[in-house]
Amino acid sequence: MWLAVRLAAREFRGGLRGFRIFLACLALGVAAIAAAGSVADAFKAGLASQAREVLGGDLSVTVARRGFTPAEQAVFARLGAVTYAVSVEAMGEAPSGERHLVELRGVAGPYPLAGRVELSGGASLAEVLAARDGGAASAAVEPELLQRLHLRLGDRFLVGRTPLIARAVLRSEPDRLSRGFALGPRVLTTFAAVQSGGFLDGAVPFGETARIALPPGADLAVAKAKLRAGLAAVGSTGHWRIGDRNDAAPGLKRMIDELGYFLGFIGLASLVAGGLGVQGAVAAHLDARKTSIATLKALGADSALPRNMFLIQIFVLALLGVAIGLAVGADTPLMLGGLIRRDLPVPAVFALYPAPLVRAAAFGLLSAAAFALAPLGRARSTPPAALFRHELSARPSFGPEVIGSALAACGLIALTVVTAPTPLAAAAMTAGVVAAFVGLWLLGLAAAHIAGGLRSRSRGVARIGVANLAGPGSAARTAAPAIGLGVALLSAVVLIQSSLLAQVSRIAPRTAPSMVFTGIPSDRGGAFDSEIATAMGGAPSPHAYLRAPFFSGRIVAVRGQPVERLRIEPDARWAFDRDLNMSVLGPEPLNAGVVRGHWWPAAYAGPPLAALSADIARGAGIRPGDEITLEVLGRRIDAKVAVVRRVDFAAFGASFPIVLDPAALAGADLRSVAIARASPAQEQQITAALGRDFPEVNVISVREALEEAAQIFDRLTVAIRAAAAVAALAGLLVLAGAIAARAQARAREATILKVLGATRAQILAAYAIEYGAVGLLAGIAGVALGCMAAWPVVVKVFEATWSLDWSGVATLVIAACLLATLGGVIAAAVALGRRPAPVLRTE
Amino acid sequence: MFDASAPPAPLSLFGVGLVLPSAAGPVEILRGVDFRVAPGERVAIVGPSGCGKSSLIAVAAGLERPTRGEVRLFGCDLSSLGEDGRARLRRGRVSLVFQAFHLLPNMTAEENVATPLEIAGEANARHTARAWLDRVGLSARTRHYPHQLSGGEQQRVALARALAARPELLFADEPTGNLDAVNAAGVADLMFELAREVGSAMVLVTHDPALAARAGRKVQMFDGRMVEPV
Repeated sequence: MWLAVRLAAREFRGGLRGFRIFLACLALGVAAIAAAGSVADAFKAGLASQAREVLGGDLSVTVARRGFTPAEQAVFARLGAVTYAVSVEAMGEAPSGERHLVELRGVAGPYPLAGRVELSGGASLAEVLAARDGGAASAAVEPELLQRLHLRLGDRFLVGRTPLIARAVLRSEPDRLSRGFALGPRVLTTFAAVQSGGFLDGAVPFGETARIALPPGADLAVAKAKLRAGLAAVGSTGHWRIGDRNDAAPGLKRMIDELGYFLGFIGLASLVAGGLGVQGAVAAHLDARKTSIATLKALGADSALPRNMFLIQIFVLALLGVAIGLAVGADTPLMLGGLIRRDLPVPAVFALYPAPLVRAAAFGLLSAAAFALAPLGRARSTPPAALFRHELSARPSFGPEVIGSALAACGLIALTVVTAPTPLAAAAMTAGVVAAFVGLWLLGLAAAHIAGGLRSRSRGVARIGVANLAGPGSAARTAAPAIGLGVALLSAVVLIQSSLLAQVSRIAPRTAPSMVFTGIPSDRGGAFDSEIATAMGGAPSPHAYLRAPFFSGRIVAVRGQPVERLRIEPDARWAFDRDLNMSVLGPEPLNAGVVRGHWWPAAYAGPPLAALSADIARGAGIRPGDEITLEVLGRRIDAKVAVVRRVDFAAFGASFPIVLDPAALAGADLRSVAIARASPAQEQQITAALGRDFPEVNVISVREALEEAAQIFDRLTVAIRAAAAVAALAGLLVLAGAIAARAQARAREATILKVLGATRAQILAAYAIEYGAVGLLAGIAGVALGCMAAWPVVVKVFEATWSLDWSGVATLVIAACLLATLGGVIAAAVALGRRPAPVLRTE
Repeated sequence: MFDASAPPAPLSLFGVGLVLPSAAGPVEILRGVDFRVAPGERVAIVGPSGCGKSSLIAVAAGLERPTRGEVRLFGCDLSSLGEDGRARLRRGRVSLVFQAFHLLPNMTAEENVATPLEIAGEANARHTARAWLDRVGLSARTRHYPHQLSGGEQQRVALARALAARPELLFADEPTGNLDAVNAAGVADLMFELAREVGSAMVLVTHDPALAARAGRKVQMFDGRMVEPV
């Protein structure tokens, strides 16, 4: 073995020139995986370091549709310092009459218990909220509200009928991340102001949260247990949710995990794409050393010695490639973090995290082994007779190298699945990448074969290109699969993004309502309809306006079984863990989407019947005829499921997951919601008219919400596009490797062609044809695979309408074709740049 | 003295010098060579290894630019032409045969012979190529790739490729240097026979005295200079 080590060391005297692509492919993939993992860990560490601030204390208790009782408040007070916060959605109105939906939040007690509220234009939050002026409470407001209502600090405005004064600009609250998105700009005021505005009378939905700061040294688990026991002891009813600082923003943490894994996965795909570069570099190196290997064998070396010598050399190079990748991958977030830390919406602690680096190193070494071991078999099988007959070449044969390569590939797949937050999805993605890679490789073989058939139909320069495509060093077999995989990943991302953006910017505005109205008083429904009709310039059709009673409640039992004991599919769990929007409707609504059962007669007055969304029904195995128990308006109703229907939440219609017959809640005081399709001008008229006659009705602009969603989505996809571009870059590296590996042969070929009378343009054209064909093939195949990957994501996961972004697709195909052609032209230019005489002499 | 009224010679060199860079410093390969080949003339250049024979062919065929002096192919000064101009000038009029054959590895024997004809724009290139392969005794090997042919066969393909365009001037650089005696004799016979048939002038670089003796004129090179006649 020491002999192999010594010989390998001597081999390094030749330098790393032939291994630049090997190192670049490996380093690029490892860097992408390491960077994605490091960024995810930086965010998770950031969240953990500010867990108290994110939660707003050590413990939190939230209830829906009611406030806390004095007994419950006493339980909280016994544990530590307590703040209370309540939030509702209501209409803000400027003295000018301009109106906009706001999230009104009232706080009581020493808020915030952890972290601090950042304000500008005012003093501390306590001072801002303490000030009163002629019966109007003070508020800190987000700058967006000042902008939309054309207010300045010190101006009065209304939220509902409650007068408030904008005293300071609200920049951030420490607990915002644990609360999720708001439909409108936030307005922060006192709990008392919200209460006195009548928002907590039960007429509009609201939730209250108590946040508790434990005394120093208190045990969190013990305090949490005391809290549960205390609430049970005081007979606390209803559904409360307890959170603690160790799980401050579980949804966000999960999203960071999944996004980090997804970005890392794309990095892994770039390692796979670059694997062909690794393989090509090793094969080219062994080809160049064929004489040395044959000489060693002629001098008495057994087959294993040259193989071991190159195995050691490749292992050392793989370590070097991984080390470069780790250095780049670990440093990039550190450098970027310093630059963008202030603009990040989530706290992050950028540092060196060993776990993602170890993971990236393992991925890098396994992929190097998977791709480099098999060609090493050539070192074992090169015959000593190659010294005499140069055309003798070693064919890769089945042996320990191939077995090692297969084991490393299995290890790579296993590691990919095991380290995933959702192994099933990772297994599907891995299977997709492997299938795409094999498909592209087979396509490359087929393209080389077809080129072989086409050579007899072509002539002159075209045949030179076609013959090279069909020949042994064909880029169709090496670069096409790698570029194709990169294009596939990039196009999948582009297509998912463009479909979803089309959904929110083009399809949703056509199919979804443009306005939503909530909190319409039950006794003034008819007047509201008339108001809308007047503002819209005539009675709207059922396709442009719909009003329905609205309330919320939850499913507590199915077929007499409490939901806690039911087996529910994970994707439907959400419907049984929280309140659902519900309505009562007599006649079957337009586009009811009935899948099973029959809608009840308009004048039905029998036992309660329900229409249930198909997703929820499927999740718990509910069929028409089954009984479900609902908890609504403080009472329990047993309703028989009469209808299972498909509810399209993005479409214009009665999109309630649960609808009851009107008799089921006869006599109840139900507020209504309404939806409308209106032009921007009508929107303004409606908003202004409702301000006069229905100030308590909230007006939500769906158009604005869609625009904001598009912006958020756009920001999110920047990172994903960048990662996919890394995979495409790996494809280009493989192309560069394929070009470099054949540089000597190209120089000789170009020289012979020149000797035969070919001009530079003809030689350039021949190579442009060859590599352009590779790029075109890879581009088209990559886009096709990208479509196959993107379609299920768009249609099944996001339930959006599939739309093909032709310009994006064409850009990718053209870019792949042009870049590959450029590669060919550069290869030709390099070959043409060599002096002919020395090239002809070296044989 | 050259007769100005005669048709231009296929090849004329006047005071040609060639200096090439090397790791150890510039090396003077050719030191003022004057040389002329008349139409249909066959000239053998002999001399020890490293005396500049192959470099002379590279310069004469326009593959290498001389450091000084003038090279005229068919009366045209090569220094006035760019690389593409020199390639166009060679096209159909000048051919080369090498010791190492230099066939295009991804092309069959037939395609190798057809390629220069196609580059020159000949319509029946493949038909002509097949006829020439038949002429050199390889009609059964038209679809074989270079690596599937023996050395002698490869050189015969190279000869067919060189002569298929019926060039006015043929350069042959050690054409039998990589072949055994039997194959070497066969290739040499074929080369002289075909060149005579086509009417090509020939410049032959060789170490083989027997082969050199078959040329009409023999010139000696030594240390980058030409000693004429031997």
